[in-house]
Parts: sequence; C-alpha cells; structure tokens
Amino acid sequence: MKEKLEALLREGTARIEAAKSEAELQEIKGSLLGKQGSITELLKEIPKLDVALRPEMGKAVNNVKNLLSEQIEGRREALKLKASEIPQDFDCTVPGFEPKIGGLHPITQMCYDLNDAFRSMGFEVFSGPEITSEYYAFDNLNFPPNHPARESMDTYWLEGHDTGAANDKLCLRPHLTGDSVRYMQTHKPPYRFVYPGRVYRNETTDARHERAFFQYEALIVDKDFTYTAGKVMIKSILSKVFGQDVPVRMRAGFFPFVEPGFEIDMGCLVCGGKGCSVCKHVGWIEIMPGGTPHPNVLRAAGLDPDEYTGFYVNIGLDRLVMMRYGVDDVRLFHSTDLRFLKQFH
Amino acid sequence: MKLSLNWIKDYVKLPDDMDLSRLAYDLTMSTVEVEGAENLAERFDKILVGEICEVLPHPNADKLRVCKVDVGMDEIKDIVCGGSNLEVGMKVVVACPGAMVRWHGEGEPVEIKNAKLRGVASFGMICASVEVGLADLFPADDHEIMDLSAFDIPAGTPLADALDLNDIILEIDNKSMTNRPDLWGHYGIARELAALYDLPLVEFTPYVPETTNTYDVRIKDIDRCPRYIGAKIEGLGVKPSPFAMQSRIWRVGMRPINALVDVTNYVMLATGQPTHVFDSNHIINHIEVRRAEEGEKLQLLNDKELTLSNDDLVIADAEGAVALAGVMGGAKDSVLPETDSVILEVANFESKGVRRTALRYDNRTEASSRYEKAVDPERCDQALSMAMQLFSELYPEMKVTAFKDLYEKKLERAEIDVEFEWLDRRLGKRIPQEIVAKKLGTMGYEVTFTETGMHIVVPTWRSTGDVSIKADIMEEVARMYGYENFEATTITTSFDGAINQLSVDLVRKIKEYLAFRCNMQEIFTYPWMSDEFVHALMPNTDGILALATPPSPTEKYVRSSLLPNICKAIAKNERNFPEFDIFEEAQIFYDGDYTENYAGEKLPAQKKHLGCAFVGSPDKVAELFRNAKGVIGAMPRYTHMEGFTFEKLEKPYWADETVWLNIMLNGKKIGDLALLSKKSALACGIKVLSAVLVELDMDALVPFKSRTNRFTHVPEFPRNDYDLSFLVDAMTKWSDIYALLTEKKNELLRDVQFVDEYRGKQIPEGKKSITIRLVIGSDEKTLTGEEIEAVAKSAVKKLQKNLEAEFRMA
Repeated sequence: MKEKLEALLREGTARIEAAKSEAELQEIKGSLLGKQGSITELLKEIPKLDVALRPEMGKAVNNVKNLLSEQIEGRREALKLKASEIPQDFDCTVPGFEPKIGGLHPITQMCYDLNDAFRSMGFEVFSGPEITSEYYAFDNLNFPPNHPARESMDTYWLEGHDTGAANDKLCLRPHLTGDSVRYMQTHKPPYRFVYPGRVYRNETTDARHERAFFQYEALIVDKDFTYTAGKVMIKSILSKVFGQDVPVRMRAGFFPFVEPGFEIDMGCLVCGGKGCSVCKHVGWIEIMPGGTPHPNVLRAAGLDPDEYTGFYVNIGLDRLVMMRYGVDDVRLFHSTDLRFLKQFH
Repeated sequence: MKLSLNWIKDYVKLPDDMDLSRLAYDLTMSTVEVEGAENLAERFDKILVGEICEVLPHPNADKLRVCKVDVGMDEIKDIVCGGSNLEVGMKVVVACPGAMVRWHGEGEPVEIKNAKLRGVASFGMICASVEVGLADLFPADDHEIMDLSAFDIPAGTPLADALDLNDIILEIDNKSMTNRPDLWGHYGIARELAALYDLPLVEFTPYVPETTNTYDVRIKDIDRCPRYIGAKIEGLGVKPSPFAMQSRIWRVGMRPINALVDVTNYVMLATGQPTHVFDSNHIINHIEVRRAEEGEKLQLLNDKELTLSNDDLVIADAEGAVALAGVMGGAKDSVLPETDSVILEVANFESKGVRRTALRYDNRTEASSRYEKAVDPERCDQALSMAMQLFSELYPEMKVTAFKDLYEKKLERAEIDVEFEWLDRRLGKRIPQEIVAKKLGTMGYEVTFTETGMHIVVPTWRSTGDVSIKADIMEEVARMYGYENFEATTITTSFDGAINQLSVDLVRKIKEYLAFRCNMQEIFTYPWMSDEFVHALMPNTDGILALATPPSPTEKYVRSSLLPNICKAIAKNERNFPEFDIFEEAQIFYDGDYTENYAGEKLPAQKKHLGCAFVGSPDKVAELFRNAKGVIGAMPRYTHMEGFTFEKLEKPYWADETVWLNIMLNGKKIGDLALLSKKSALACGIKVLSAVLVELDMDALVPFKSRTNRFTHVPEFPRNDYDLSFLVDAMTKWSDIYALLTEKKNELLRDVQFVDEYRGKQIPEGKKSITIRLVIGSDEKTLTGEEIEAVAKSAVKKLQKNLEAEFRMA
C-alpha cells in the first residue's frame, strides 16, 4: 500500500505540473481527490488494514491528499497568472494605428506660441477689423497723402468705396498698424499689447510673396522708454519662441509710422552666425521692422508725444514659420492642401 | 543700386587700409543695407595683356590660327585662336589657365585649362570682350577678339591693372533708401561715410555763367517743376567719352553711349540729380515746362509712342512736347550723330507726378526712380557745376551761349528745436555736445546750441519730407553715434492685474477643441471668393462687398460666408483623401449694418465666423451628420460658454431638403448645420464625397467667466441599462420618443438614450427599427429584477400606445 501511495504521489505531481489549463487541472483533481478518485479509494481501504497499521497509514494518505491538494491549488494560481489566449505567432513588429488627429494651422501655432510669450510679459491680445478706412490704414499712421502704398496697385480698395476722403475710402487692411491706433483710442496708457492678424497687398505672387499674409505686431507705450529696451523685448520673445538664446541687432530702417525706425535682424540659427545659404552668408536674417511710434501716430491716439514714447515690432509670421519648418513657398499656407497642413503637429 | 568705392573716394578720403567688411557693416547698421561687396579685379584673375608676335596657320583647321604670344613670361606662348582680326603686334586679352571666362559671353563662367585644340597645344585663350564681360566697354563683332592696342601697356600686365579695374563695387538694397533721396548718388553715400568716420567731405564749386544771354525757359506749373536750368552749349560733338568715365558708368551698371550722354549719366550717378541734353538744333524757339494736352502724342527715346494725359508734365518747345519730364527724352530731340550743340537741362520735378507718369506708361527709368524719391531743388547747383566742369574738360572749345536758372518755388529748409533733457531721456544716455555738433555738421545740419538744447536748420537735401521733427534728429544722432554703442536697458513694469480676455481665450479654446478633441484640421483661405462657388452656394450676390481691383476677374467678391472657400477646399482635397474634417475661423463681411466710431469712420459689418466641413463617403451621410452635430453640440461644454440648441426654422440655401438644422443660442439663430445639397456640391465641383457643413457666428458666443461644471455624486446604488428594440413608422423622430418617455417624471428612469436605428431588409416598408436604452436606478436601494422590469414595461406600453411601436418578442 505504501508503494501504491508513493506511486500515486509521483504520478499525481507529474500530471499536475503538466496541466495546461484550469479545466485539465479540474479533471486531475477529480481523478485523484474526487468521490471515486484514487486517493479517496485508498482511504476507503484503510479500515481493512491491520489495526496497528491504520493510524500510520491514515496519516500518510491524508498527507499525500493534502500535498496534492496544495499542488493543485498552486498550479491553478500559476496557470491563472500565465494565462494567455494569444497564439505564439502574434507579430509585434506590425506598426501601431496612427491616431486620427487634427491640428492647428502652422501659422496659428506660431501665433499662439508668441501670444503665450507676450502674455507672460503682461501683454494683452487685440484684434481689429480687416476692412478699414483709409483714415486708419494710412492717415493716422503718418503716411503722406500721396504715398505709393495707397495706390490700387498696392492696396485692395473696395468697389464703390475707392474714391473720396479718408473716411469714405475702404480697403482690406494693408498692415496691422492701424489697429494699434484703434486700441490706443479705446484704452488708457500705458499700453502693452499684441495684435496678430492677416493683411492684404495687391501684388503678384511667387514663392516669397503672397496677397494675404500674416503679421504679428506688438506695441508698448509708456513714459520714458528707450529703444534699447525694445531690443531687450525682442530678444526675450525670440529666445522663448526658439528655445535658445537668439542674438538680435537693430539697424537703420525706414517706415512711415516709426521714428526712428529699425530693421531688426536675428542671428541665423542654422549656421550660428557663421554664414550659410539660409542667411545669404551674412549670419543675420532680417526678421522684422520696428521702432519708436512716430509722434503723429501717438497724437492720432490722443497722446502727447513729448510725454509718451514706446516701441513697435512687426513680425512677419509667415516668414518665421517658414524658418521654423524650412517651408520654401509662402503660398502653401493658403493652399488648403491637407497633405501640407497635416505635417505640423 | 551699385556704387564704386573708387568713385566715392573722389568725395571723401577714406583711409587706404579701410577694412571693407567693416565699412559694409557700418553702412548697414547706420544708413543703408549693403547686400554685397565685390572686388571687381577678382573677375579678371589670371587674365593678362598679351602681345601677338606671330600668327601662323593651324595645321588641322582652316578657321583657326596658332598665335605666338608674349604674355610677359619667360617664353612666348602658343595660343590657338579663331579671331577674325588677329594681327602681329596687336595687344590682346589672354585668359591663362585657371582664369574664368564665359564662352561667347553665354552661360556660367568656366575655368580655362591647358588644352589641345585640333591637335595643337594652347596656353589658355585669346578672348573676345564678351568672354571677359567687357562688351559694353569694348563693343565688337562676333568673331573679333578684344583689341587693347590703343592702350600703352606692356605685355604681362594683369587686365584689371591695365584697365584700372581695381575697385570695390557695393550693392545697396534699394528698398532701404526709398526715404533718402540724397543717397541715390555716390556723393550722398560719401557724405554719410564722412559723418560716420569724421572725415572731410569735398565741396563743389558753384557754376557761374559767363554769358549774359538768357535762354528762354518757361515754367507753366511751378508745383510740378519748382526749378529749371537751361543752358545752350555750343562747340560740342558726338564722340566716345574717355575710357575712365565709361569704365565708371559701366561698373555701376549702366552702358556708356557717347560723351554727351555719358556726361549726363555720370552727373546723375555722382550727385543723384538727373540731367538731360537736347540737340539744340531740334528745339524750336524755347523750352516750356507744362502739362500735356489730353491726347497729345509723344514718341520717346526708346521709340514708345505715347498718348499723353493732362496729368503728365512735359518739356515742350514752340511746336510740341519733346520730353516726358523727369522720365525720358523724346526721340525727336535726342542726341544724334551730327549733334554739335545742346540744351543742357538740370531741373527739379515734383516726385508724385513723376511717379504717376512713369507708372502710367510702365516706363520707369534711372531718372524717374530718383525724382520719385523727392530730390531737393538745390541739388541742381551741384549737378550743373559738375556737368559744366566735365563738358569743359571733354570739349575745351565749348561755349555756353545762353543760360537761364528759373527757380521760383524755393524749398524751405526745415527748422527743429531739440531740448537736451528730451534727447537724453529718449536715448537713455547723454552724448557729448561736440560729438553731436560734429556728426550733424558733417551731414549738413546747421546747429546752434542754447543752454537747454539746440536749434537745427536741416540741409535742403533732407528737407523734402525726410527730416522734419525732433525724433528725426534723435535718430540722426543715434545712428551716427552707433546704435550698438547704447547699453540695453530693461523694461520696467507696473503690476495692475492679470490679463483676462474671455473672448480672446474662447476663440483659442474653440480652435483647440476642434483640432485636438475633434481631430479636425484648421485651414486658411483667402477673403475673396471665386464666382462659381458664390453662385453654387448663394441665391444672389446682394449685399456682398467687392474689390475694386480683384486678384482675378472672377474673384472680386469679398467673403460674406466662409462656406464658398471651404467648398473649394473640399473639391481640392477629395482627390487625395476619402474622408476628412476641416475648419476655418475668419472674418466675414457684408455691405450693411455700418458702424461709426467717434472719428467718423464708418465700417461695414465684419464678423468672426467659424466654418466646418465633415466630409466622407455618400453612404455615410448619417454618420457625418451625427459627427457634426456631436462636435457642435458638445462644443459649449468643452469650451466653457453658453450652450446651443438645434431647431429647424430656416433651411440654408445650399442645404439638402431634409438634412439641415439651425444652431440657436438664447432664442437667436447663430448658425447652420446641414448636408450640402447635391446640386450645390456639383456646382462646386465636389464630385465624389458628401459634406456636412457648419457655419457659426463666433461673435454671438457668450463665454463663461470661469469653469461652471458642478460636481455630481457618483451613484451609490447600481444603474441598470435596459435596451429596447422596436419598429415604428419611419417618419417617427427620436425627439418625439425622448419627449414621450421623459415628459412625466419617473424617479427610477434616470435617462433615455438613443442607441441605433435601422432600415433595411427585414424591416417592412415605411417602418424603421430603433433601439433605445433606458437607464434605470434608484438613489435609495439596489432595485430588484421585478422593479426594473416594471419601469421598462411602462415605457413599452407608452411606446405601443402613442407611437404604435411593435416589439419583437424575445
């Protein structure tokens, strides 16, 4: 009987170890410990034994019974943890699903980046109407009465509104600067605001010229503001947007609404200022005009130019985005071509 | 504009060791953008003067010769050449191995190498003038090589030295000096450099006429012609100008013509003041500056035949117009081969008039581009002085036989007072008075210092609109002192509250919601619409604004809706994508609802709109519609604004007969959501896909001041989903089913949800199968099966009774 018991334990253990599923394990349990199971059958034989042997054998059988029980439960746990219904030929190198994802226009993205940068410096965001009078497009901004920019070859005048005095003539705004006067006329100084938007020029288009393009203007107006503080402002913004220290230089430039006016260059980030094809080998890239608001502009806004001064910058958003991504044709921005637009996430 | 550094040095003595890159940098920082600087001599590297010693036939080619040429080296070189004018003793241009030449003057420059030509070794080549880029200075026939025999130069001399071409040519960005009429000549730039480097500037000696004869000059419009100097000069003749003069004219990009014309161009390039010569034999009686008669004819020097407008200013004689003032001379009076006496014109014309005329006839010239910048009338003196000087040098026999300087509208010099206190404050530092005096003085300003400031009289050449206020003076001082010599100052700030702009934020939230939560792509389109799309989507063009000079004849309408351009984008993209969702946020306009501000400005209605398109296969219209409705319906919740409702009040013109909704906010219609009708889609050229469009007035949206969602408790007892499927009449609306089941409040029926609807095979005609979900639960206890069934049964009964719903028994 002892040998029989040992054989049962050996076989049982082997079967339990080999069990591949819980169902199989359940079957094994039944065949060993069930009502007609081999162990149960052995227990039934104990009363038939010699009285002296009974306690010892009883104990031995019970031991085996408990041992097998434990093994079955242990195996059951192990099977649960290892459980996998997946066939082994599953191919993990198959590519993942592309998430279906929309996106903001790359110019909107840049605009928001700049908004965040300027807002962190306490600037408000403002926007004005895209159809404006000649008064706000030119007169307020110190453009002389016969300035070439006013002519129809440069500006989109509206049919039926293209003659007459300043307030009668309407056009698609040729630049954003007129909106700065709108803001100043309706707010109290000191001012610190940006006013991004789209502007329109009647011109022939090519890879570098568009009829509709985006500008981003910022204006700060306060008492005692030197133009060098303007340089600090530009440097801070560009460094934040590009995520690295950006060298900035300001050189002589002329725009009717500023005096003095500047062309503002940033150090070429492609070559680090050493000179490359992107910066035409000068190490600097012309990025925006800027300068101190012309006294006539401040007067138009109702301010005393002896008391107040400030600083304008006008960032060409398209240009900045082109630089960010290496886009080589400005017309792509209005192309509505999703094969282009879906690249900027 | 191109400038010769040698020429500039005529007027300001720059140090010989002047660092060129420094000069270019300083000019760029302070005055104008220098785009490039070329050492002219580098073009002629390894190009030497040679002398032909012998011309031998080529053994293998009839048209080629083998020349023995002395190029100043140890041995005489053999050079194979096909030139038709080769002669012994001729001085020629030899491009040695390594030199760059342009074959027959065409294509990119190529490097000369030692080579065999038809079996004979040749040391470089003997060049024609086109091959070394000198055709303008040495005009020649096709097969002629360039002949330098007239020059007294030994063989072996580098060509650049022989022709005095050791010069630096600066390329200035014209855009950077449109406001500086004084800089459009070498003298003007010399003046800037003098001020930059504190160097003396050469002055011109004014011309004093010897003749007492008056030339008959009449000005009929002194506003358009403030000054006119006419001088009759005799004893001239047509001949080439000296090589040095030709060379300078050529270096800066013009072509030498003959001595008479070259003098006028030379003077213009030097001073920026255009001048002109008429053949005096062709000028009848007198010179008159007047407006053209409407329809008056004039044939220009370039043979353009013009029919003039009354806005044009012309130079005329007793018979008619002879020149378009400030733009170009006429063909009739120009310098002819037999010209021996001229009328020299040195005049001042008003800028805008010249610009209008030049543009009207698409005939901009070197002269007009200078006049349109507003040249000052006093510069005529400089130009006259220089022209007379040059004529007398070139024609020692010449005589001025009549002269008139008619200057009736004098230029007023601007006068400006600047207080030191103001200047210091704006500059952020005090600049020593002697530096200010010196810089301004060199630039021609007359400065009188007072105790607290200075009184400045602006030079004439800066008084034509360029400098007029004290900020201009500040700029002059700062740029000459050097913008880079001011220390950066920090920006001070006063804290007066955080930026809080709800409407600005709302627009961004909506765009980010659409892009990032709803997976839509933002697009930009132009504000003008193509006619075909306007007609496809709108009943008429009433109230739509239009451009006076549109980008194209079929794009004159300014958008009154975003949808035409969105449809254009759909038509464009359906070729590449089977489905896509796009949106655009932009302003729309219409001719109405004008608003007037306090300055009297009246602007037409301009509103910020949102346009969306949900585009996909026509068999998925229901899905597109539900996507669109879901995106728009959930937008208020995610972007924190007052919520919308949908109603059917007014079908948009472009919408399908059945699938359309109006978007409502507080009882007002603020937009539409609808399927683009088949008719409109086809008119838009959308051939394959279906589109559900949305347009929404964003200005009507009302942002919440802060987030307003409230917390609700998680239910303590289970909620049970109970799905019901039944058949109803196909016209039955979900909204009717929902209303029916929720009109009477039932504490245990928490929600009724739409799951699905189906029409098709197993469903009888005129019916549809619909599946809804009842959400059943109590806040007090876990419901028993019987309690749940009771709620469901009551719903079933209602549906059977009111909507004749047929339930398929399980």
